[in-house]
Amino acid sequence: MEYAVEAEGLTKAYGEGRARVEVLKGVDLSARRGDLIAIMGPSGSGKTTLLHVLGLVTEPTAGRLILGGQDIYGGRWRPDLQRFRREKIGFIFQFANLIPFLTARENVLLPLDLTGVRGRAARERAAELLDYLDVADRADLLPEKLSGGERQRVAIARALANDPAVILADEPTASLDTERGLSVMRLLRRLSAEHGTAVLMVTHDTRMIGEVDRVIHLLDGAVRDPGTTAGQSIPGGFCS
Amino acid sequence: MNLAFKDIRYHRFKFFSSVLGVGLLLMVVLAIGGIIRGVIYDSATIVTETGADLWVVERDTLGPFVETSRIPEDYYHAIEVVPGVAEASPLAIGWEHVVRPPRPTPLAKFMYKNAVAGTQTMVEPGWMDVPAEERFVVIGYKPGRIGGPPALVAGRGIEADDYELVADVKTGFQVGERVRIGYHDYTVVGLTKNMVGFTADPVVYTTLKEAQQILFRPDPDLLRDRRRRFREPFETEAALAPRLAEPLARRAADLAEDTHVVNAIAVRLEPGASPEAVAKEIARWQRLEVHTAPRQVNLQLMGSNRLLILQLSLFRVILVLIAGIIIGLIIYTFTLDKVKEMAVLKLLGAPGRRIYVMILQQAVLIGVLGAILGGALEFAVEPFFPRRVEATYGDVGQMLVAMTVIAALSSLLAVRRAMTVDARSVLGS
Repeated sequence: MEYAVEAEGLTKAYGEGRARVEVLKGVDLSARRGDLIAIMGPSGSGKTTLLHVLGLVTEPTAGRLILGGQDIYGGRWRPDLQRFRREKIGFIFQFANLIPFLTARENVLLPLDLTGVRGRAARERAAELLDYLDVADRADLLPEKLSGGERQRVAIARALANDPAVILADEPTASLDTERGLSVMRLLRRLSAEHGTAVLMVTHDTRMIGEVDRVIHLLDGAVRDPGTTAGQSIPGGFCS
Repeated sequence: MNLAFKDIRYHRFKFFSSVLGVGLLLMVVLAIGGIIRGVIYDSATIVTETGADLWVVERDTLGPFVETSRIPEDYYHAIEVVPGVAEASPLAIGWEHVVRPPRPTPLAKFMYKNAVAGTQTMVEPGWMDVPAEERFVVIGYKPGRIGGPPALVAGRGIEADDYELVADVKTGFQVGERVRIGYHDYTVVGLTKNMVGFTADPVVYTTLKEAQQILFRPDPDLLRDRRRRFREPFETEAALAPRLAEPLARRAADLAEDTHVVNAIAVRLEPGASPEAVAKEIARWQRLEVHTAPRQVNLQLMGSNRLLILQLSLFRVILVLIAGIIIGLIIYTFTLDKVKEMAVLKLLGAPGRRIYVMILQQAVLIGVLGAILGGALEFAVEPFFPRRVEATYGDVGQMLVAMTVIAALSSLLAVRRAMTVDARSVLGS
């Protein structure tokens, strides 16, 4: 099966010489289309930096990164990074981060609009996703009129809009109660399988581990365990 | 998807209250422009409406509207035979007043109170009370010649010396009203409109002879003194020839009463005649000063109202700058409110251009809507100003262009802020 994400020896360092601090130390990771992977670790373990590197907003210092089968970094960024991020990566945030002045439908239309998909095709795609995520009846409401769970569903619809190769999720369930959090996790589980999208999720939320395919455990900038299968114990005692 | 309009839809109260604020400010800018134009028009009205090509005045003077000019009335006969001159009309011009019970509107009362506020410690109380004296410009002309009222809005014109007036409507005089000016009562027989002097005082027309009586006739004490002084040189002759005493005394009295003086002679040229050439010819042989009509307007404008115009003009520039700064701050605040959304947009791959266009569109929209609103408000309040305010659609058009440019420039600060928004700030923090 095709890999959605392949990272080899990803390193990110700040400073020079003795002041050099390595935040990522040769991280290797891979995710196939349809994988739902949790990235876990204590504060300062490098989760956020890894997310920034995978989200193409922080340039690594060394290593290699392939997203959706295309070389993104091999010593330097490819030039059309912004377009690549627009077309190939979806983002889900802890607090949904919907654009407050756009309705739910317009929030889903936004990534399509940014990639030049407009008109009927865009409207149909947005309607399909909102329906898929069971928020079609909330389409014309502004985010402030939606519940936390509904907002997160609309955010997921927005992330899926351009049919990305990979979705990066940043603590998607942290702001939700257990029931709603599990609901979102099952949704991510379903959409990764049905859409063939790899979902990489940074989380501290151990309640959701049972829903993921693998847990990548980071410690001090390095992968401590490259793929604990869901349900297995997590070394280091970070998750129970 | 137009993000600027979507944002405005969401923040409509904030946006439209900003537009209202900018609109009110631009209303003031436009009103000041209108006041400047009003001053210019007022300064030019008498000269342009007289229809004269040349203004002949006393040597080394700038004209009847700027400084005292007195020349013999009869000079107009001599000027009329200069080649190129079609008509010469002697004019007596001066300021007079009548005392009438003041009838200020509540708005006028408020404006007086407002004007006097803060000045009462410097001047005696009552300094700026509503005045009972109505000032006006008296213009005396020979009926049938240039210099009379240009168009009547009521009543009839003046045909002969019969103590009649044609007054501008701003005097408040009514047709048929009797008005005491100087030593005589005059009947208002007609009304004209928009005829004011450079001080915005309305114009009152009468015949040359009667205007000369109003403006130049000495008061009785001065007349007695003059008669005595004029008679003195003849007294030796009168003693030698007693027969001459009476006629000489009469002649002295006539001389003392003489008012055959005018302030200017308005000259209309024949078609094709060169104003400069004719002016040079008149000035050469009569030792008079001759100003072309445009120069007379300019002298009047730059002599009497120059500092006022420059002051207002500078004030207008300052206000435009303030408007620019305010628009800039509004847009900057709008941008600060959207820093998080901009970070999300950047993370979603929105090109920077898309974000800058959103900021620019909002800035320009505030400027343009503010200019349109300012124009509409200015036209609405124009009639309530005490003196002429002449803003035009052209002014509003200029303001639209200026505000578009200013808004674009003032949004640079916001764009600069938008450029520093880090997409990482919404991811994993």
